[in-house]
Amino acid sequence: MVLELRNATKTFGEGNTLVEAMKETNFTVDRGELVAVIGPSGSGKSTFLTVAGGLQSPTDGQVMINGKEMSKLNEKQRSKIRLQEIGFILQGSNLVPFLTVDEQLELLNKVKKDNMSKIERHKLYEDLGITKLHKKYPSDLSGGERQRVAIAKALFSKPSILLADEPTASLDSDRAFEVMEMLRNETKSNQTATIVVTHDVRLMKYVDKVYKMTDGVLRLESAAEVEQSLM
Amino acid sequence: MFLAWSEIKKNKLRFLLITSILLLVSFLVFFLSGLANGLASMNREAIDTWKSDAIMLTEESDKSLYESSFNKDIADELDAKETAVVSQMGAIATNGDTKQNVMLFGIDKEQFIQPEVSEGDPTFYVQNGVVASDVLKNEGFKIGDTLELSSSDIELTIVGFTKKARFNASPILYMKLNDMQKIKYGDAYTMNKDLVNAIIIRDKDWDTLSLPDNTEIIKTETFIENLPGYTEQNLTLNYMIYFLFVISAAIVAIFLYVLTVQKISMFGLMKAQGISSAYLARSVIAQTFILALIGVVVAFGLTLLAGSFLPNAVPIMFDIPTMLVYGVILVVVAILGAVISVWTIIRIDPLEAIGG
Repeated sequence: MVLELRNATKTFGEGNTLVEAMKETNFTVDRGELVAVIGPSGSGKSTFLTVAGGLQSPTDGQVMINGKEMSKLNEKQRSKIRLQEIGFILQGSNLVPFLTVDEQLELLNKVKKDNMSKIERHKLYEDLGITKLHKKYPSDLSGGERQRVAIAKALFSKPSILLADEPTASLDSDRAFEVMEMLRNETKSNQTATIVVTHDVRLMKYVDKVYKMTDGVLRLESAAEVEQSLM
Repeated sequence: MFLAWSEIKKNKLRFLLITSILLLVSFLVFFLSGLANGLASMNREAIDTWKSDAIMLTEESDKSLYESSFNKDIADELDAKETAVVSQMGAIATNGDTKQNVMLFGIDKEQFIQPEVSEGDPTFYVQNGVVASDVLKNEGFKIGDTLELSSSDIELTIVGFTKKARFNASPILYMKLNDMQKIKYGDAYTMNKDLVNAIIIRDKDWDTLSLPDNTEIIKTETFIENLPGYTEQNLTLNYMIYFLFVISAAIVAIFLYVLTVQKISMFGLMKAQGISSAYLARSVIAQTFILALIGVVVAFGLTLLAGSFLPNAVPIMFDIPTMLVYGVILVVVAILGAVISVWTIIRIDPLEAIGG
């Protein structure tokens, strides 16, 4: 398993103000697998994402990333793991406004080794249809193009885990489906473990598994339930 | 450096503005340092050419050359390696066309403070002949000019010019001690002809010399610091310079902080992706360094350029080593100004980039 949560919980505050943002959660995802975590806002999706992504430690239980126990690490060590193992595709756009598409990726070469080679990068650009955009700044790109660049950036560091937070927000349906299609293809071809956090149920047909988050409880949806939500 | 430079390239105007402010502040610092140096030089350049170690004055003169007076025979009794006597008086000299405030310095022949004649008769020591500061040349005085003095009927003749001969902001006329005493004391000459203002001493061990009563020996630098107005003027200008260092640090701090605050969510995202605070902090510091360096270097050039266009009346004199030191200080304080931004970046929580 690339990513595994064992009885992980996350609570904030204490006593009367105690909030259980994430109740006891067990979750696994493997290479080449694309899973979705759906749920309304405030359900604890983001908390799940930040715990799974090593941005914060669980209050209780364990988070294992490639066999490494995250809750024992400090922020500096977690930051290293994030850099090495995780590709983030975040809400809106996580691009640096003053870097060209090429430079967005180049930046990763400055802080990390073993990223994609030039040839691999070229192929990635082609897959995502952004070859012609490589000298452009984010402000010159459309929303869909920006999201594709964000995917390229997340994949460039060859992460074992890809975390996407509402990757299709701010995109119209066609663009959203296109982005999901790409995520799916990249998940298979790069063998990443991909988690898409979204509230958009239309995207469910692209994923292998669907988890639903309700009031801090994460539950695997059966095929029938997924079918129903798509109706 | 990569991130720093990419951002500068993309947001040229923004960084041009901050660099130009740094440039202006640096220009002012360099200019003031030139002015401070020039003004100091007006006061002390003659003394500096003497290369003396100390100066002997009467105790009650309170380190003032003008108020000190004693018999020059004391110099012979003094066990110093080299001594030179100076008798001084201020006067207004005119060649008929131009009036000029001058300082007459009566000196003995072949003493070490004798000026090096840059133009005219190198043996200048003739009856009522004076070697004048070349400042007078710029004011329209020429070799051979006859000078009338405000306080005496005796007329002097300019036999030569010498460089670097200003004392307490007045150009010096060096002349024969005896001729000078006649001007200074008039009818009382016979009685006072051996009275001089000071003895200039060249001797590293001057502080071990045994002194006659009522006299004191002070280090040359101390003497200069006690010239009327010298220290006050220097401190004023230097405080302005020091204050400008603080101002430039503050400007950089505010400017960078505003830029950093604008980029908090971006930094948060980068930190979420695992880019370390140290890398981001280094980038901000590198950026500041680039901007400050450009500003300071351009200001350095502009100051020198502007200096060459200034009229002679502006007493500006650039001391390159001092300017280099100030340049380095400006870059360093700019980087100190970036500290608040660095601190802000370190405190950004990557969690907030993801949002609750």
